[in-house]
Amino acid sequence: MFRERFSYDPLVLPFLLGLIFIVTYLALGAIRMIKNLPAEDKIRLGKSFFSKQILLSIREIFNECLLHLRIFKKNPVLGYMHMSIALGWFMMIVLAHVEVKLYAPSRFNLPYYPIFFRYFVRETQETLDGAVFFFLMDFFLLMVLSGVGIAMYKRFNSKATGLRRTTRLKWNDRIALYALWSIFPLRLLAESFTSGISGGSFLTRGFGMVFETFVSNDLHVRPTWWAYSLALGTFFFTLPFSRFMHIPTEMLLILFRNAGIKHRTTGTGIAQTEIYSCSRCGICIDACQMVSAARLENKATVYFIRELREGGRHNAWDMASACLMCRRCVEACPVKIESTLIRSALRQDWKMLRREPLSFLPVNHTGPARVIYFAGCMSHLTPGIEQSMVRIFEKTGTDFTFMDREGGICCGRPMMLAGETRAARELIDRNKKIILHSGADTLVTSCPICYRVFAEEYQLPLKVQHHSQFILQMMEQGKISPEFREGTRVVYHDPCELGRNSGIYEEPRKVIAAMARIEPVAEEREMGLCCGGHVGSISLTHHQRRRIAVQACNILLAPSPDAIVTACPLCKKTLMDATAEVPVVDIAQMVDNPELLRKHPNPVLQ
Amino acid sequence: MATDGQKKVVVIGGGIAGMEAAAQLARMGYDTTIVEKQARTGGNVANWDHLFPEGRLAGEVVQQLYQKLSPVRIITGSSVKKADMLEGQYILTLADGSVLTTDALVVSTGFRTFDAHRKEEYGYGIYDRVITSADLEGMLNEHQPLFPGRHKGPRRVAFIHCVGSRDEKVGNRYCSKACCAMAVKQASKVKELYPDAEVYCFYMDLRMFDRRYEQMYLDAQAKSGVNFIRGRLSEASEDLQGRLVIKAEDTLMSKPLKMTVDMLVLMVGMEPASGARSVAEMLKIPVGHDGFFNATNELLEANCSGTPGVFLAGTCTGPKTIPETIADARAAATAADAYLRKKS
Amino acid sequence: MAVQFGYSINKSNTIDMDTAPRAMESYLLLHEPSFARCIGCGCCTATCSSGVFTQLNLRQIQLRIRRGETQGLLPEIQKCMLCGKCQMVCPRGVSTRNVVLSIQRALQLLS
Repeated sequence: MFRERFSYDPLVLPFLLGLIFIVTYLALGAIRMIKNLPAEDKIRLGKSFFSKQILLSIREIFNECLLHLRIFKKNPVLGYMHMSIALGWFMMIVLAHVEVKLYAPSRFNLPYYPIFFRYFVRETQETLDGAVFFFLMDFFLLMVLSGVGIAMYKRFNSKATGLRRTTRLKWNDRIALYALWSIFPLRLLAESFTSGISGGSFLTRGFGMVFETFVSNDLHVRPTWWAYSLALGTFFFTLPFSRFMHIPTEMLLILFRNAGIKHRTTGTGIAQTEIYSCSRCGICIDACQMVSAARLENKATVYFIRELREGGRHNAWDMASACLMCRRCVEACPVKIESTLIRSALRQDWKMLRREPLSFLPVNHTGPARVIYFAGCMSHLTPGIEQSMVRIFEKTGTDFTFMDREGGICCGRPMMLAGETRAARELIDRNKKIILHSGADTLVTSCPICYRVFAEEYQLPLKVQHHSQFILQMMEQGKISPEFREGTRVVYHDPCELGRNSGIYEEPRKVIAAMARIEPVAEEREMGLCCGGHVGSISLTHHQRRRIAVQACNILLAPSPDAIVTACPLCKKTLMDATAEVPVVDIAQMVDNPELLRKHPNPVLQ
Repeated sequence: MATDGQKKVVVIGGGIAGMEAAAQLARMGYDTTIVEKQARTGGNVANWDHLFPEGRLAGEVVQQLYQKLSPVRIITGSSVKKADMLEGQYILTLADGSVLTTDALVVSTGFRTFDAHRKEEYGYGIYDRVITSADLEGMLNEHQPLFPGRHKGPRRVAFIHCVGSRDEKVGNRYCSKACCAMAVKQASKVKELYPDAEVYCFYMDLRMFDRRYEQMYLDAQAKSGVNFIRGRLSEASEDLQGRLVIKAEDTLMSKPLKMTVDMLVLMVGMEPASGARSVAEMLKIPVGHDGFFNATNELLEANCSGTPGVFLAGTCTGPKTIPETIADARAAATAADAYLRKKS
Repeated sequence: MAVQFGYSINKSNTIDMDTAPRAMESYLLLHEPSFARCIGCGCCTATCSSGVFTQLNLRQIQLRIRRGETQGLLPEIQKCMLCGKCQMVCPRGVSTRNVVLSIQRALQLLS
């Protein structure tokens, strides 16, 4: 007999060493990450352990790390793949431990024992009582194997799982990946060969019987269990240097996030956990228009994050400076990695020369009025929007003042996006003085980029509205009542900063729906397309931007609408430059002059 | 009507290029037909008033071309929807379902002016005192008053060169060639009509390439008193009094410049005509990024499309002035003639 | 004691392309190649949001870098608010915002 009564065999060594290594590594890593948190975040984290946040975190960890519900929602096949491997494996480990606790309690403190239980146990009678266990173990093994099967198929044919592109892997990821893939088929073989002795269920027993017909099972027991142990050991040793680090880190990230820890820098804190939580699943590659339209595949978020983790920061800077900050990738990300915040932090890290204060900027007071209107720099290039807004204010009898009619101070958001936080604060402070001095109770802006910074950074003691919200309010108060135009069909383009990044989807749609039929677009709302004009990007070239704009136009024009309606001067200008087929109209212009919704009298290039 | 053995040619587009090519082909003895989308021949030029450099009347020029078309069959208000090649002949199906067979085709689909609405920062369609060069030409042609309801003439008129030309943002990288000279002509005309007005031309480069154009420029400066500012308009707006204000940099002074004007004229450039792309697909004519057709050799075979029996004439291969268009049309007719002779 | 001739030699007003420093130009052409596309139309300067309050002239700065006249550039270029209007109006598609940021980085590296 080759199996010892001692319940030790050298074949457990690769697994055992790997386990010791990975547990130590993760413990030290977690301690380091927590240590790197700023003091106030540490306090936040500490407090969260003793509040109901911890329950929420546990539920989220269960839902996301085992069930992978978010991936399920995005893509059921990928969701099943992740769930089957994670949940199946987890259940196998749990069942093995329960089994050992029930049938061999004295061995419970040996960490390898439950994993190699089938190998060590010789009293078959004893374990046969647990036929249910045998069945469950086989069931979950089959579940994992099905997931591994999908994973292998996806690697070679990504389209089958609904991904147009899959992540290109480096060698470290490949070793870990192949180790992971081999664990479960080896387990199946090993268990099958031992099934005649230790027992098995439908899967292992079945395979065992089949093998018995043409090979001698006993001869294969040791090599396959050895291989199984080696595969586990390899996986554990390579895990910290591979993308699979996301499995343990995501739990920490969920704890951090639920404790309310915010982004500060790229190197530490929540950003660091996010970087390690990236599974390199590649869902963000398809979401990124820099990839799909501008053909800049290496700029996708997954590669940016990998670069931060493994490569030089200079390359990461290049990647960070190209990004349009549209946040489509964050919306698509199953782990909800706030990669645009990491990019912002990196842009701040890239130290500029010491800046002179912007003391030349005046504070030109305006008002007093009840409403202060800030058109925004870009709106000066779309005078139609400004003109319509002034008319709407006049028509509704609004007591308003036009803050930047003659040109004003920039809202500060482009500065922030470029990483110049301190200079941005100077702009904010000046504008804030003007806004407060006007005595207004509402600030209306036409530009979603300005809207977001007014709402998030200015901390104004007054109502901040995008003009689509203001117009809807006027309609609800009956101060303007545009007529519904029978037969007019339009599409609505969600500006990134208004929709996805400020959550304003319904107000513009309500305004438009009162005037025309809105045709659905293939990608809208949370996954609305970027027009390519966003000031979020620093280094994207005009031609790359134009490709993105043309892509957006093609998708918007698919339902052949009479007009594209949007609610952002920058989107409007960019889309207008990219298409001459239909008019591109801002929501304010549409309300002010519905005739603009007619198709051009001068139809062009078909 | 066609006599036996007489070869047939169809000309797509009845602007001045199509008219001239058709007239030449008819003179050479071919049975020639023009298919024109609009209700009349003459294309864009028929909308113009006086033509640079010597101020000939556009109407008269078009009329002279028309007089040479008596042997030509003209189908207006129709377009070619389908083209099939059969035994060296083209079978064309028109919009009304009728069928034409032909041995060769001359494509002269021409251009349309840039839609100035697309440069919203210039205020076309937003401020009513912003017009295009094409609008101005039409107003002059129809003797409309330029400033209706105004007793006194304008104080200031500005012409903006390169609107929709040399502009990557709207996708038109090329120079439209004719607008510089046209601007100088129109500016001089406005100055002639309103001698008290100040007239300004805002240009990036003045492309006065012809033998007579520099003289026009000189006359505009010295005789008419037109002012020239080197700078491209960035935006137009209205001030609190409702006056039109334009902003540019006077690049020779290195200072931003703003100016109140009573009228702003946008010199709209040329873009390929609206039906050009479908004609190109039908006849397999190579098209450049800008939408203009590419000849097989832009120097020596500037009228050959690469498709046997299909020849290109006029502005469908890129912006041209009138004399260039006429010369190009004749060259296309000659190329078609050479092809048809070889074929028989 | 030096002889006083009663006049001094003024610094030459000529741009000497043989001695003009071109490092900044090279840096920009490498890091923001669209810098080479400028035709000097002045749109950027005309539309500049900061230009309303100060004499920021991006077209001229571009030309100065091309001719090696880079003294005193930093305080000027830092008047930019990065609003992006110039980038929207540029007919040649120059990434003006990155030109501004690259000038600052070049000044940092070359100082």
